[in-house]
Amino acid sequence: MKRKLFIAAGALALVGLIAGILVYFFVYNKPHKDYLKAEPEFTVEALALFEEFRADQAAASAMYNGKVIAVTGALTSVEQNDSFTVAVFEIDEGMFGSEGIRFTMLPESKDKIISQAPGTTLTIKGFCTGYNETDVILEHCSLVE
Amino acid sequence: MKQLTALFLLTILSLASVNAQKYITKNGHIRFFSTTPMEDIEAHNRQVNSALDQQTGEFVFRVLMKSFQFEKALMQEHFNENYVESDKFPNATFTGKVSNINDVPFDKNGVYPVNVEGDLTIKGITKKISEKGTLEIREGKVYGKSTFNVLLADYGIKVPAAVANNIARSIQIDVDVTLEKLAK
Repeated sequence: MKRKLFIAAGALALVGLIAGILVYFFVYNKPHKDYLKAEPEFTVEALALFEEFRADQAAASAMYNGKVIAVTGALTSVEQNDSFTVAVFEIDEGMFGSEGIRFTMLPESKDKIISQAPGTTLTIKGFCTGYNETDVILEHCSLVE
Repeated sequence: MKQLTALFLLTILSLASVNAQKYITKNGHIRFFSTTPMEDIEAHNRQVNSALDQQTGEFVFRVLMKSFQFEKALMQEHFNENYVESDKFPNATFTGKVSNINDVPFDKNGVYPVNVEGDLTIKGITKKISEKGTLEIREGKVYGKSTFNVLLADYGIKVPAAVANNIARSIQIDVDVTLEKLAK
């Protein structure tokens, strides 16, 4: 009887340990989303997206924030420094300079975006984080080919 | 006629100086850092909008909460969903001014200590803050830096008991912006 109890307790402890390890790896340490492979929920024109945010920020935020979207527009410039590469679709000129859509590129997509000539029409997908009164921001972006 | 010419020149000059007053960036960097004996947590946002008015000292920051990147996906999820509720409050803002802007000679390279005062809004709650920092003038650019602490409770951010030992009550905020003259 004692032995059975002992085995049962041991089995329970083992299950607990395995559950703990699983939780650690799949919940606590779960990886970030693979944005390179993510399918966009929406595909929109840059001008239409920008105007949606400018006309009704709350409605556009509810629609796009936190989602992977693909945006088509003309590349204005690519800004670079040691820690990031940002592609810009300029749409308007405001009080604080250019306004439009800004895409922080994934490191894997850096070379591809740098080789694009300004003025080229491109589709870039990424995770929309919102509108900061001048620009719509997308993070973890890559070129859609 | 001479008077008219003088007036014309004066207008042009004043317009030019108005245009030369603003310094901006769209790639500002804000890092926040929480440290406890249990765990260190940090996050970075490199798409921070900021503008500084050279003459009035007005200083504005706009930060999208969902742009903060954490090392662990789970922390990022908790931050957005439970702590700052970024679906409901997508932006954090600071609107204020450099109170001693006249002590900063924008035409002379150097590092100048500044006081920044104004309204910090996080999660829809606005608090007055007054913090120290530096503005460095180097080759026509303005490098702004400041480190200060924010109490989570001030902005209605509650830490659940289960992780109470993992998250500091006072979070360190590092601001690092390279502002460039707004070209018109």
